[in-house]
Amino acid sequence: MFLITDLIALLAANLILTQALGTSTLFIAAGNRKNLIWTACTITVFTTVGSVAAYITDRNLPEKYSDYSLLIYTLSVGILYVILLSALYFISRDNFAKTRKYIHVSAFNCAVMGTLFTISRKASEDSSLMNLGSYIRAGFEAGIGFILAAVILTAAYRKLNSVKVPASFRGFPAMLIYLGIISMAVYALK
Amino acid sequence: MNNRKTSVFDGILGDNMVLSSLMVISPVIICGDTLKNAEALSYAFTSVTILSMLIASFVPKKLPYTVKIIIYAMISSLVYIPVKVATQEFYRGAIDRIGIYFPLLAVNSLIVLQSEAKFFRMPRAKMFFSLFFYVVGFDIVMLLTGLIRELLAYGTINGRVADVDLPVSGLSQPFGGFIFLGLMCGLYRWIRSLVSREKKEMRSEPNVSDN
Repeated sequence: MFLITDLIALLAANLILTQALGTSTLFIAAGNRKNLIWTACTITVFTTVGSVAAYITDRNLPEKYSDYSLLIYTLSVGILYVILLSALYFISRDNFAKTRKYIHVSAFNCAVMGTLFTISRKASEDSSLMNLGSYIRAGFEAGIGFILAAVILTAAYRKLNSVKVPASFRGFPAMLIYLGIISMAVYALK
Repeated sequence: MNNRKTSVFDGILGDNMVLSSLMVISPVIICGDTLKNAEALSYAFTSVTILSMLIASFVPKKLPYTVKIIIYAMISSLVYIPVKVATQEFYRGAIDRIGIYFPLLAVNSLIVLQSEAKFFRMPRAKMFFSLFFYVVGFDIVMLLTGLIRELLAYGTINGRVADVDLPVSGLSQPFGGFIFLGLMCGLYRWIRSLVSREKKEMRSEPNVSDN
């Protein structure tokens, strides 16, 4: 029962299904199951670690300088981008060329940046969420939500690209309508 | 001249960034439910993208790819600040309605990814011409989506009551945005295939000469 409740909560707060954040990245990666899983995992790393940077920024940035939060988030994600690429290079130089694309695709996209802004907005509305634990948890949940949406899309990917679908709607248009129907179901759950 | 014609069709019809490549679709899906939101988003997107790309085109090409991407994102985040101030002046209340999607425009994939993959490989003059029509392509889709969704979801046009008796309130929701954009994409592809088929037929017609 707890699992079902958690699953419903995860769906209801899903980045893609309720906020359309990272939809383009999801579609780009959807062509290949391996790509999709790796991209989703990399985005989870970015949202989780990025949420720490968002917490530090929100905690220390005075209200009158709030317009600069985007600049600081971007700088933080940029630093994380370099750190992850360097780590990947030192861990496995042979696989670096193959795997760096996941980091390139995941760094600056709506899923990551949108998560940081969403967490920040929620914390500004509810002061009980203004702590490091809540930020990291929300960042991690957002990443897991992305993985869940990726799994939902992968399940129907072949059928949405099948020749049985009219040529004009095959691929992206069918995927959008499919996500719309899933999003409608999630909306009803809320 | 030929290049110019190709650029126009690339950005607006041939390779529309929203309907063809599904770039920057989150604001279209979530905030494109009224014409007022669409106007404010189009204005912000146009200003941030064109100004950022203009400045970013002077970044040395020899720098490593990752460094360049970070610099582009930083430039657009800086350009975002005056654009936000101007938007608050021109479109009062728009930023509150648009919420987190407003700053997200500054790190859009046209600036962060397509700049290196496409635009900065072109000569500067051609790049701006091409970029301009890509941005116009986005604006057209955004405004059209805002107009139709507002009319069908709320029965209004730019906040004024229109004599439409078929409100589909679901179109104002995110799921309505997904479905509407999916239908627009399908329609766009159908039109594009009709145009290209017509062109092919015209090319394959035998040349008739008087000689």
